[in-house]
Amino acid sequence: MAICTGCSLLCEDIELTVKDGAISHVRNLCRKGHGHYQGLLTQRARPMIDGEEVALDQAIAKAAEVLHGSKAPLLCGWSNTTLEAQAAGMSIAKKLGASICDTSPPCLGTLMERIISGSAPTCTLDDVRNFADVSVFWGSDPSNSHPRHLSRFSYYPRGEKRQKSYEEERTCIAVDVRKSATATLCSNYYFRVQPGGDGEFIESILATLDGKIPKFGEKKRMIELGTILRKAEYGVIFPGPGMLYSLQNKLELFETLLAKLNEIATFKVVPMVERFNSRGYYQLLHGPGNSLAAAAKGCDAALVIGSDPLAELPLATARALARVPLIVIDPHRSLTVDAASVVIPSAISGMEAGGTALRTDGVKISFEPIIESDLPSDEQILARILEAI
Amino acid sequence: METAVSIVTFRDIFQDEAGKKSKFTDEFRDLCARILLDKQDMSRLGLKDGQKVRVQSEMGAVIVAAKTSDDDPHPGLAFMTSSPWSNQLAGEDECMPGTGIAAKVSPSDESVTQISELLQRMRAQGIL
Ligand code: SF4
Repeated sequence: MAICTGCSLLCEDIELTVKDGAISHVRNLCRKGHGHYQGLLTQRARPMIDGEEVALDQAIAKAAEVLHGSKAPLLCGWSNTTLEAQAAGMSIAKKLGASICDTSPPCLGTLMERIISGSAPTCTLDDVRNFADVSVFWGSDPSNSHPRHLSRFSYYPRGEKRQKSYEEERTCIAVDVRKSATATLCSNYYFRVQPGGDGEFIESILATLDGKIPKFGEKKRMIELGTILRKAEYGVIFPGPGMLYSLQNKLELFETLLAKLNEIATFKVVPMVERFNSRGYYQLLHGPGNSLAAAAKGCDAALVIGSDPLAELPLATARALARVPLIVIDPHRSLTVDAASVVIPSAISGMEAGGTALRTDGVKISFEPIIESDLPSDEQILARILEAI
Repeated sequence: METAVSIVTFRDIFQDEAGKKSKFTDEFRDLCARILLDKQDMSRLGLKDGQKVRVQSEMGAVIVAAKTSDDDPHPGLAFMTSSPWSNQLAGEDECMPGTGIAAKVSPSDESVTQISELLQRMRAQGIL
Protein backbone atom coordinates (compact mmCIF):
# COMPACT_ATOMS: atom_id res chain seq x y z
CA MET A 1 0.00 0.00 0.00
CA ALA A 2 1.17 3.47 -0.81
CA ILE A 3 0.01 6.76 0.63
CA CYS A 4 -1.08 9.82 -1.30
CA THR A 5 0.31 13.24 -0.45
CA GLY A 6 -2.18 14.95 -2.77
CA CYS A 7 -4.07 16.55 0.13
CA SER A 8 -4.17 16.58 3.90
CA LEU A 9 -6.19 13.34 4.12
CA LEU A 10 -3.00 11.38 3.36
CA CYS A 11 -4.96 8.35 2.13
CA GLU A 12 -3.07 5.21 3.10
CA ASP A 13 -4.87 2.64 1.00
CA ILE A 14 -3.45 3.40 -2.43
CA GLU A 15 -2.66 0.26 -4.39
CA LEU A 16 -0.33 0.63 -7.28
CA THR A 17 2.05 -1.20 -9.54
CA VAL A 18 5.21 0.42 -10.72
CA LYS A 19 6.67 -0.81 -13.98
CA ASP A 20 9.80 0.59 -15.63
CA GLY A 21 9.80 3.61 -13.33
CA ALA A 22 6.18 4.49 -14.20
CA ILE A 23 2.84 3.73 -12.59
CA SER A 24 1.02 1.08 -14.56
CA HIS A 25 -1.95 0.26 -12.34
CA VAL A 26 -3.56 2.14 -9.49
CA ARG A 27 -6.58 1.80 -7.18
CA ASN A 28 -8.31 4.08 -4.69
CA LEU A 29 -6.78 7.36 -5.87
CA CYS A 30 -9.25 10.19 -6.38
CA ARG A 31 -9.03 12.53 -9.36
CA LYS A 32 -6.88 15.00 -7.47
CA GLY A 33 -4.60 12.23 -6.21
CA HIS A 34 -4.35 10.95 -9.75
CA GLY A 35 -3.14 14.35 -10.91
CA HIS A 36 -0.66 14.33 -8.05
CA TYR A 37 0.74 10.95 -9.08
CA GLN A 38 0.85 12.01 -12.73
CA GLY A 39 3.17 14.76 -11.54
CA LEU A 40 5.83 12.07 -11.22
CA LEU A 41 6.15 12.12 -14.95
CA THR A 42 5.56 15.76 -15.80
CA GLN A 43 7.73 18.84 -15.72
CA ARG A 44 10.32 17.91 -13.14
CA ALA A 45 12.58 20.71 -11.93
CA ARG A 46 16.28 20.78 -12.89
CA PRO A 47 19.15 22.18 -10.78
CA MET A 48 19.73 25.78 -11.86
CA ILE A 49 21.65 28.90 -10.92
CA ASP A 50 20.53 32.13 -12.59
CA GLY A 51 18.81 30.27 -15.40
CA GLU A 52 21.79 28.00 -16.22
CA GLU A 53 21.60 24.28 -15.54
CA VAL A 54 24.25 23.17 -13.01
CA ALA A 55 25.12 20.08 -10.96
CA LEU A 56 22.88 19.47 -7.95
CA ASP A 57 25.81 19.96 -5.53
CA GLN A 58 26.53 23.37 -7.02
CA ALA A 59 22.91 24.47 -6.56
CA ILE A 60 22.93 23.36 -2.92
CA ALA A 61 26.28 25.14 -2.29
CA LYS A 62 24.93 28.31 -3.93
CA ALA A 63 21.78 28.17 -1.79
CA ALA A 64 23.87 28.02 1.37
CA GLU A 65 26.01 30.92 0.11
CA VAL A 66 22.99 33.14 -0.64
CA LEU A 67 21.40 32.42 2.75
CA HIS A 68 24.66 32.93 4.59
CA GLY A 69 25.17 36.30 2.91
CA SER A 70 21.63 37.51 3.56
CA LYS A 71 20.92 40.03 6.33
CA ALA A 72 17.21 39.26 6.51
CA PRO A 73 16.53 35.76 5.19
CA LEU A 74 13.04 34.31 4.98
CA LEU A 75 12.24 30.60 4.89
CA CYS A 76 8.75 30.06 3.54
CA GLY A 77 6.32 27.38 2.39
CA TRP A 78 6.54 24.16 4.43
CA SER A 79 2.99 22.88 3.97
CA ASN A 80 3.88 20.28 1.34
CA THR A 81 6.84 18.67 3.01
CA THR A 82 7.56 16.18 5.77
CA LEU A 83 7.78 16.79 9.52
CA GLU A 84 11.48 15.94 9.30
CA ALA A 85 12.06 18.63 6.66
CA GLN A 86 10.02 21.14 8.68
CA ALA A 87 12.16 20.42 11.76
CA ALA A 88 15.34 20.88 9.69
CA GLY A 89 13.92 24.18 8.41
CA MET A 90 13.32 25.37 11.94
CA SER A 91 16.96 24.54 12.80
CA ILE A 92 18.14 26.59 9.80
CA ALA A 93 15.90 29.49 10.89
CA LYS A 94 17.42 29.36 14.37
CA LYS A 95 20.99 29.23 13.11
CA LEU A 96 20.49 32.11 10.66
CA GLY A 97 18.07 34.16 12.76
CA ALA A 98 15.74 33.90 9.76
CA SER A 99 11.97 34.42 9.67
CA ILE A 100 9.97 31.29 8.98
CA CYS A 101 6.45 31.39 7.55
CA ASP A 102 3.98 29.12 5.83
CA THR A 103 1.82 30.35 2.96
CA SER A 104 -1.59 29.73 4.54
CA PRO A 105 -3.68 32.77 5.49
CA PRO A 106 -3.32 34.03 9.08
CA CYS A 107 -7.00 33.37 9.82
CA LEU A 108 -6.28 29.64 9.42
CA GLY A 109 -3.31 29.99 11.79
CA THR A 110 -5.61 31.40 14.48
CA LEU A 111 -8.04 28.48 14.17
CA MET A 112 -5.19 25.95 14.19
CA GLU A 113 -3.74 27.50 17.29
CA ARG A 114 -7.10 27.10 19.10
CA ILE A 115 -7.41 23.48 17.99
CA ILE A 116 -3.83 22.48 18.81
CA SER A 117 -3.87 24.20 22.21
CA GLY A 118 -7.07 22.31 23.06
CA SER A 119 -9.21 25.42 23.52
CA ALA A 120 -11.44 24.27 20.65
CA PRO A 121 -12.75 20.69 21.09
CA THR A 122 -11.51 18.38 18.35
CA CYS A 123 -11.45 14.70 17.39
CA THR A 124 -9.86 12.48 14.76
CA LEU A 125 -11.40 11.62 11.41
CA ASP A 126 -11.61 8.02 12.65
CA ASP A 127 -13.87 9.29 15.45
CA VAL A 128 -15.92 11.04 12.77
CA ARG A 129 -16.32 7.76 10.89
CA ASN A 130 -17.20 5.81 14.03
CA PHE A 131 -19.43 8.25 15.92
CA ALA A 132 -20.49 11.35 14.00
CA ASP A 133 -24.17 11.67 13.12
CA VAL A 134 -24.12 15.34 12.08
CA SER A 135 -21.36 16.80 9.87
CA VAL A 136 -21.38 20.50 9.08
CA PHE A 137 -19.28 21.64 6.11
CA TRP A 138 -18.97 25.33 6.70
CA GLY A 139 -17.26 27.31 3.94
CA SER A 140 -15.64 24.04 2.94
CA ASP A 141 -16.28 21.82 -0.06
CA PRO A 142 -14.53 18.49 0.48
CA SER A 143 -15.92 17.03 -2.76
CA ASN A 144 -13.49 19.36 -4.52
CA SER A 145 -10.76 20.03 -1.96
CA HIS A 146 -10.52 16.71 -0.03
CA PRO A 147 -12.24 14.38 -2.47
CA ARG A 148 -12.32 11.22 -0.32
CA HIS A 149 -13.42 12.98 2.89
CA LEU A 150 -17.07 11.99 2.52
CA SER A 151 -16.37 8.40 1.46
CA ARG A 152 -13.64 7.61 3.97
CA PHE A 153 -14.88 9.53 7.00
CA SER A 154 -17.78 11.93 7.11
CA TYR A 155 -20.77 10.63 5.18
CA TYR A 156 -20.72 7.25 3.44
CA PRO A 157 -18.72 4.82 5.60
CA ARG A 158 -20.24 2.52 8.18
CA GLY A 159 -18.63 3.17 11.54
CA GLU A 160 -18.65 1.50 14.93
CA LYS A 161 -21.78 3.39 16.05
CA ARG A 162 -22.98 4.31 12.59
CA GLN A 163 -23.75 1.02 10.88
CA LYS A 164 -26.69 2.55 9.01
CA SER A 165 -24.51 5.43 7.93
CA TYR A 166 -25.74 7.96 5.39
CA GLU A 167 -28.91 5.97 4.64
CA GLU A 168 -30.32 6.59 8.11
CA GLU A 169 -27.81 7.77 10.62
CA ARG A 170 -25.79 10.61 9.18
CA THR A 171 -26.94 14.11 8.33
CA CYS A 172 -24.71 16.40 6.28
CA ILE A 173 -25.15 20.14 6.37
CA ALA A 174 -23.42 22.69 4.13
CA VAL A 175 -23.14 26.39 4.90
CA ASP A 176 -21.70 28.24 1.95
CA VAL A 177 -21.87 31.31 -0.26
CA ARG A 178 -22.01 29.04 -3.28
CA LYS A 179 -23.92 25.87 -4.03
CA SER A 180 -20.81 23.73 -4.22
CA ALA A 181 -20.70 20.02 -5.07
CA THR A 182 -20.86 19.22 -1.34
CA ALA A 183 -23.75 21.65 -0.84
CA THR A 184 -25.63 19.97 -3.71
CA LEU A 185 -25.15 16.62 -2.01
CA CYS A 186 -26.52 18.06 1.25
CA SER A 187 -29.62 19.09 -0.73
CA ASN A 188 -32.27 20.38 1.74
CA TYR A 189 -29.59 20.96 4.32
CA TYR A 190 -27.69 23.48 2.25
CA PHE A 191 -27.82 26.93 3.86
CA ARG A 192 -26.76 29.85 1.73
CA VAL A 193 -24.94 32.70 3.43
CA GLN A 194 -24.18 36.07 1.91
CA PRO A 195 -20.48 36.88 1.40
CA GLY A 196 -19.21 38.07 4.77
CA GLY A 197 -22.46 36.94 6.39
CA ASP A 198 -21.14 34.04 8.48
CA GLY A 199 -21.12 36.12 11.68
CA GLU A 200 -24.82 36.91 11.26
CA PHE A 201 -25.50 33.28 10.48
CA ILE A 202 -23.85 32.25 13.77
CA GLU A 203 -25.93 34.84 15.66
CA SER A 204 -29.06 33.34 14.13
CA ILE A 205 -28.12 29.81 15.21
CA LEU A 206 -27.35 31.08 18.71
CA ALA A 207 -30.77 32.73 18.83
CA THR A 208 -32.59 29.54 17.80
CA LEU A 209 -30.61 27.51 20.34
CA ASP A 210 -31.82 29.97 22.98
CA GLY A 211 -35.38 29.56 21.77
CA LYS A 212 -35.46 33.08 20.32
CA ILE A 213 -36.49 34.23 16.85
CA PRO A 214 -33.44 34.53 14.58
CA LYS A 215 -32.79 38.00 13.14
CA PHE A 216 -31.11 36.83 9.96
CA GLY A 217 -31.97 34.15 7.43
CA GLU A 218 -35.19 32.32 6.74
CA LYS A 219 -36.73 31.82 10.19
CA LYS A 220 -38.32 28.42 9.58
CA ARG A 221 -35.15 26.95 8.11
CA MET A 222 -32.95 28.43 10.84
CA ILE A 223 -35.19 26.87 13.49
CA GLU A 224 -35.00 23.55 11.64
CA LEU A 225 -31.18 23.80 11.61
CA GLY A 226 -31.17 24.62 15.33
CA THR A 227 -33.25 21.49 15.99
CA ILE A 228 -30.86 19.21 14.06
CA LEU A 229 -27.86 20.62 15.90
CA ARG A 230 -29.60 20.35 19.26
CA LYS A 231 -30.49 16.70 18.67
CA ALA A 232 -27.03 15.67 17.44
CA GLU A 233 -25.37 12.87 19.39
CA TYR A 234 -21.94 13.61 18.01
CA GLY A 235 -21.68 16.63 15.76
CA VAL A 236 -18.60 17.76 13.87
CA ILE A 237 -17.99 21.08 12.16
CA PHE A 238 -15.49 21.27 9.31
CA PRO A 239 -14.65 24.96 8.82
CA GLY A 240 -13.07 25.85 5.51
CA PRO A 241 -11.58 28.99 3.97
CA GLY A 242 -15.08 30.36 3.25
CA MET A 243 -15.87 30.64 6.94
CA LEU A 244 -12.41 31.82 7.96
CA TYR A 245 -12.24 34.59 5.33
CA SER A 246 -15.70 35.71 6.28
CA LEU A 247 -15.12 35.80 10.05
CA GLN A 248 -11.52 37.10 9.76
CA ASN A 249 -10.64 38.32 13.26
CA LYS A 250 -14.04 37.50 14.72
CA LEU A 251 -13.28 33.85 15.31
CA GLU A 252 -14.55 34.18 18.88
CA LEU A 253 -18.08 34.18 17.45
CA PHE A 254 -17.43 30.66 16.21
CA GLU A 255 -15.94 29.73 19.58
CA THR A 256 -19.08 31.04 21.30
CA LEU A 257 -21.17 28.82 19.03
CA LEU A 258 -19.01 25.78 19.78
CA ALA A 259 -19.28 26.41 23.53
CA LYS A 260 -23.05 26.82 23.28
CA LEU A 261 -23.45 23.64 21.20
CA ASN A 262 -21.37 21.70 23.70
CA GLU A 263 -23.70 22.73 26.51
CA ILE A 264 -26.47 20.87 24.65
CA ALA A 265 -24.71 18.10 22.71
CA THR A 266 -21.21 16.88 21.79
CA PHE A 267 -19.68 19.03 19.06
CA LYS A 268 -16.14 18.89 17.71
CA VAL A 269 -14.23 20.88 15.12
CA VAL A 270 -11.89 19.27 12.60
CA PRO A 271 -9.91 21.64 10.37
CA MET A 272 -9.78 21.36 6.58
CA VAL A 273 -6.17 22.33 5.86
CA GLU A 274 -5.39 21.79 2.22
CA ARG A 275 -1.78 20.77 1.88
CA PHE A 276 -0.54 17.45 3.07
CA ASN A 277 1.43 18.60 6.09
CA SER A 278 0.15 22.07 6.98
CA ARG A 279 -1.01 20.59 10.26
CA GLY A 280 2.51 19.35 11.00
CA TYR A 281 3.93 22.83 10.48
CA TYR A 282 1.47 24.41 12.92
CA GLN A 283 2.05 21.69 15.46
CA LEU A 284 5.85 22.06 15.29
CA LEU A 285 5.57 25.82 15.47
CA HIS A 286 3.36 25.82 18.59
CA GLY A 287 1.65 29.02 17.59
CA PRO A 288 -0.25 30.93 14.94
CA GLY A 289 2.91 31.90 13.00
CA ASN A 290 4.13 35.11 11.40
CA SER A 291 2.53 37.19 8.69
CA LEU A 292 4.06 36.24 5.37
CA ALA A 293 2.99 39.54 3.77
CA ALA A 294 5.10 41.49 6.28
CA ALA A 295 8.00 39.01 6.23
CA ALA A 296 8.11 39.02 2.42
CA LYS A 297 8.37 42.81 2.34
CA GLY A 298 11.17 42.83 4.92
CA CYS A 299 13.39 40.05 3.55
CA ASP A 300 16.42 40.30 1.25
CA ALA A 301 16.51 36.61 0.20
CA ALA A 302 14.08 33.74 0.56
CA LEU A 303 14.18 29.98 0.56
CA VAL A 304 10.92 28.46 -0.66
CA ILE A 305 10.04 24.82 -0.07
CA GLY A 306 6.85 22.79 -0.25
CA SER A 307 4.84 25.56 -1.86
CA ASP A 308 4.46 27.73 -4.96
CA PRO A 309 3.83 31.16 -3.42
CA LEU A 310 3.89 33.04 -6.74
CA ALA A 311 0.93 30.93 -7.86
CA GLU A 312 -0.86 30.78 -4.52
CA LEU A 313 -0.54 34.22 -2.96
CA PRO A 314 -2.23 37.55 -3.68
CA LEU A 315 -0.27 39.74 -6.08
CA ALA A 316 1.16 42.14 -3.46
CA THR A 317 2.87 39.38 -1.48
CA ALA A 318 3.92 37.48 -4.60
CA ARG A 319 5.56 40.67 -5.88
CA ALA A 320 7.37 41.28 -2.60
CA LEU A 321 8.85 37.79 -2.85
CA ALA A 322 9.68 38.02 -6.55
CA ARG A 323 11.91 41.06 -5.96
CA VAL A 324 14.51 39.14 -3.87
CA PRO A 325 16.81 36.24 -4.79
CA LEU A 326 14.72 33.08 -4.41
CA ILE A 327 16.09 29.65 -3.63
CA VAL A 328 13.44 27.07 -4.46
CA ILE A 329 13.43 23.42 -3.43
CA ASP A 330 10.71 21.66 -5.44
CA PRO A 331 10.22 18.42 -7.35
CA HIS A 332 8.40 20.27 -10.15
CA ARG A 333 8.54 23.29 -12.36
CA SER A 334 6.32 25.98 -10.81
CA LEU A 335 5.83 29.73 -11.12
CA THR A 336 8.20 30.27 -8.21
CA VAL A 337 10.76 27.90 -9.77
CA ASP A 338 10.61 29.96 -12.98
CA ALA A 339 11.38 33.13 -11.00
CA ALA A 340 14.11 31.56 -8.83
CA SER A 341 17.82 32.37 -8.74
CA VAL A 342 18.62 28.90 -7.42
CA VAL A 343 16.55 25.77 -8.10
CA ILE A 344 17.15 22.54 -6.20
CA PRO A 345 15.06 19.62 -7.47
CA SER A 346 13.89 17.21 -4.80
CA ALA A 347 12.34 13.77 -4.57
CA ILE A 348 8.52 13.75 -4.24
CA SER A 349 7.51 13.07 -0.64
CA GLY A 350 5.32 10.00 -0.39
CA MET A 351 6.46 8.58 -3.74
CA GLU A 352 10.22 8.93 -4.01
CA ALA A 353 10.99 9.93 -0.42
CA GLY A 354 9.74 8.64 2.91
CA GLY A 355 9.00 10.51 6.10
CA THR A 356 6.13 11.44 8.37
CA ALA A 357 3.34 14.01 8.23
CA LEU A 358 0.27 14.97 10.24
CA ARG A 359 -3.11 14.44 8.65
CA THR A 360 -5.51 17.38 8.88
CA ASP A 361 -6.88 15.95 12.18
CA GLY A 362 -3.39 15.60 13.70
CA VAL A 363 -2.94 11.83 13.24
CA LYS A 364 0.64 11.00 12.34
CA ILE A 365 1.10 9.10 9.08
CA SER A 366 4.43 7.52 8.09
CA PHE A 367 5.39 6.64 4.57
CA GLU A 368 8.12 4.87 2.70
CA PRO A 369 9.35 5.63 -0.81
CA ILE A 370 7.65 3.48 -3.43
CA ILE A 371 9.78 4.49 -6.40
CA GLU A 372 13.53 4.81 -6.54
CA SER A 373 14.96 8.23 -7.29
CA ASP A 374 18.42 9.71 -7.59
CA LEU A 375 17.13 12.96 -6.14
CA PRO A 376 17.63 13.78 -2.46
CA SER A 377 14.62 14.34 -0.18
CA ASP A 378 13.71 17.79 1.16
CA GLU A 379 15.09 16.72 4.51
CA GLN A 380 18.44 15.67 3.02
CA ILE A 381 18.76 18.92 1.05
CA LEU A 382 18.00 21.02 4.12
CA ALA A 383 20.47 19.00 6.23
CA ARG A 384 23.19 19.81 3.69
CA ILE A 385 22.28 23.50 3.71
CA LEU A 386 22.29 23.53 7.51
CA GLU A 387 25.75 22.00 7.52
CA ALA A 388 27.08 24.54 5.02
CA ILE A 389 25.80 27.78 6.57
CA MET B 1 -20.54 48.47 -20.79
CA GLU B 2 -19.52 47.11 -17.43
CA THR B 3 -20.98 45.70 -14.26
CA ALA B 4 -19.72 45.74 -10.70
CA VAL B 5 -19.31 42.36 -9.01
CA SER B 6 -17.99 40.89 -5.86
CA ILE B 7 -15.79 37.85 -6.58
CA VAL B 8 -15.67 34.88 -4.24
CA THR B 9 -13.05 32.20 -4.93
CA PHE B 10 -13.65 28.45 -4.75
CA ARG B 11 -11.81 25.13 -5.14
CA ASP B 12 -12.30 22.97 -8.20
CA ILE B 13 -11.10 19.37 -8.38
CA PHE B 14 -10.59 19.45 -12.16
CA GLN B 15 -8.42 22.54 -11.91
CA ASP B 16 -6.52 21.02 -8.98
CA GLU B 17 -5.89 17.85 -10.93
CA ALA B 18 -4.61 19.81 -13.93
CA GLY B 19 -2.42 22.03 -11.75
CA LYS B 20 -0.87 19.08 -9.97
CA LYS B 21 0.22 17.73 -13.35
CA SER B 22 1.51 21.08 -14.59
CA LYS B 23 0.57 24.76 -14.28
CA PHE B 24 1.98 25.49 -17.70
CA THR B 25 -0.66 23.80 -19.83
CA ASP B 26 -3.63 25.15 -21.78
CA GLU B 27 -5.83 22.80 -19.76
CA PHE B 28 -4.83 24.47 -16.48
CA ARG B 29 -5.19 27.95 -17.96
CA ASP B 30 -8.68 27.24 -19.28
CA LEU B 31 -9.81 25.89 -15.90
CA CYS B 32 -8.45 28.95 -14.05
CA ALA B 33 -9.05 31.82 -16.43
CA ARG B 34 -12.82 31.91 -16.19
CA ILE B 35 -15.43 33.71 -14.19
CA LEU B 36 -18.87 32.35 -13.35
CA LEU B 37 -21.47 35.09 -13.62
CA ASP B 38 -25.16 35.16 -12.83
CA LYS B 39 -27.51 34.82 -15.80
CA GLN B 40 -28.77 38.37 -15.28
CA ASP B 41 -25.23 39.81 -15.31
CA MET B 42 -24.38 37.78 -18.42
CA SER B 43 -27.36 39.20 -20.32
CA ARG B 44 -26.80 42.74 -19.01
CA LEU B 45 -23.31 42.56 -20.54
CA GLY B 46 -24.64 40.88 -23.69
CA LEU B 47 -22.40 37.87 -23.12
CA LYS B 48 -22.59 34.31 -24.34
CA ASP B 49 -20.78 31.45 -22.62
CA GLY B 50 -17.08 31.45 -23.42
CA GLN B 51 -16.86 35.12 -24.45
CA LYS B 52 -13.94 37.07 -23.04
CA VAL B 53 -14.28 39.63 -20.30
CA ARG B 54 -11.91 42.02 -18.64
CA VAL B 55 -12.04 41.71 -14.85
CA GLN B 56 -10.56 44.77 -13.19
CA SER B 57 -9.98 45.20 -9.46
CA GLU B 58 -8.08 47.81 -7.51
CA MET B 59 -4.98 45.60 -7.71
CA GLY B 60 -4.97 44.50 -11.33
CA ALA B 61 -6.82 43.08 -14.29
CA VAL B 62 -7.10 39.77 -16.12
CA ILE B 63 -8.83 38.69 -19.30
CA VAL B 64 -10.83 35.52 -18.72
CA ALA B 65 -13.73 33.61 -20.23
CA ALA B 66 -17.23 34.29 -18.88
CA LYS B 67 -19.52 31.40 -18.08
CA THR B 68 -23.09 31.35 -16.82
CA SER B 69 -23.23 30.01 -13.31
CA ASP B 70 -25.65 27.14 -12.73
CA ASP B 71 -26.18 28.17 -9.11
CA ASP B 72 -29.42 29.78 -7.88
CA PRO B 73 -29.69 33.49 -8.84
CA HIS B 74 -26.84 35.60 -7.46
CA PRO B 75 -26.66 38.87 -9.41
CA GLY B 76 -23.69 41.01 -8.45
CA LEU B 77 -21.84 37.99 -7.09
CA ALA B 78 -19.28 36.16 -9.25
CA PHE B 79 -17.13 33.09 -8.69
CA MET B 80 -13.57 32.31 -9.76
CA THR B 81 -11.42 29.34 -8.83
CA SER B 82 -8.61 30.07 -6.46
CA SER B 83 -5.69 30.42 -8.90
CA PRO B 84 -2.87 32.67 -10.12
CA TRP B 85 -5.53 34.53 -12.13
CA SER B 86 -7.81 35.36 -9.20
CA ASN B 87 -4.74 36.13 -7.09
CA GLN B 88 -3.92 38.98 -9.50
CA LEU B 89 -7.11 40.67 -8.40
CA ALA B 90 -6.80 40.08 -4.65
CA GLY B 91 -5.83 42.95 -2.39
CA GLU B 92 -2.95 43.43 0.03
CA ASP B 93 -4.62 41.34 2.68
CA GLU B 94 -3.41 37.75 3.10
CA CYS B 95 -6.94 36.52 3.75
CA MET B 96 -9.33 37.01 0.87
CA PRO B 97 -11.91 39.60 1.87
CA GLY B 98 -14.95 37.85 3.35
CA THR B 99 -17.26 39.95 1.24
CA GLY B 100 -15.39 39.01 -1.93
CA ILE B 101 -13.02 40.94 -4.19
CA ALA B 102 -14.65 44.09 -5.59
CA ALA B 103 -14.21 44.20 -9.37
CA LYS B 104 -15.68 45.49 -12.62
CA VAL B 105 -16.46 43.13 -15.47
CA SER B 106 -16.71 44.26 -19.09
CA PRO B 107 -16.74 42.45 -22.47
CA SER B 108 -13.34 42.30 -24.10
CA ASP B 109 -11.87 41.25 -27.44
CA GLU B 110 -8.40 40.70 -26.01
CA SER B 111 -7.14 37.16 -25.58
CA VAL B 112 -7.07 35.36 -22.25
CA THR B 113 -4.19 36.38 -19.95
CA GLN B 114 -1.40 33.80 -20.17
CA ILE B 115 0.47 32.47 -17.15
CA SER B 116 3.77 33.86 -18.51
CA GLU B 117 2.21 37.32 -18.44
CA LEU B 118 1.09 36.87 -14.84
CA LEU B 119 4.62 35.89 -13.87
CA GLN B 120 6.03 38.90 -15.68
CA ARG B 121 3.73 41.21 -13.74
CA MET B 122 4.81 39.67 -10.46
CA ARG B 123 8.42 40.24 -11.37
CA ALA B 124 7.82 43.82 -12.48
CA GLN B 125 9.56 45.97 -9.92
CA GLY B 126 8.43 49.10 -8.22
CA ILE B 127 5.07 48.60 -6.59
CA LEU B 128 5.49 47.40 -3.06
S1 SF4 C 1 -8.37 12.45 -0.98
FE1 SF4 C 1 -6.42 13.54 -0.94
S2 SF4 C 1 -4.94 12.06 -0.10
FE2 SF4 C 1 -6.80 10.91 -0.69
S3 SF4 C 1 -6.37 10.16 -2.77
FE3 SF4 C 1 -7.44 12.14 -2.97
S4 SF4 C 1 -5.81 13.70 -3.08
FE4 SF4 C 1 -4.89 11.80 -2.33
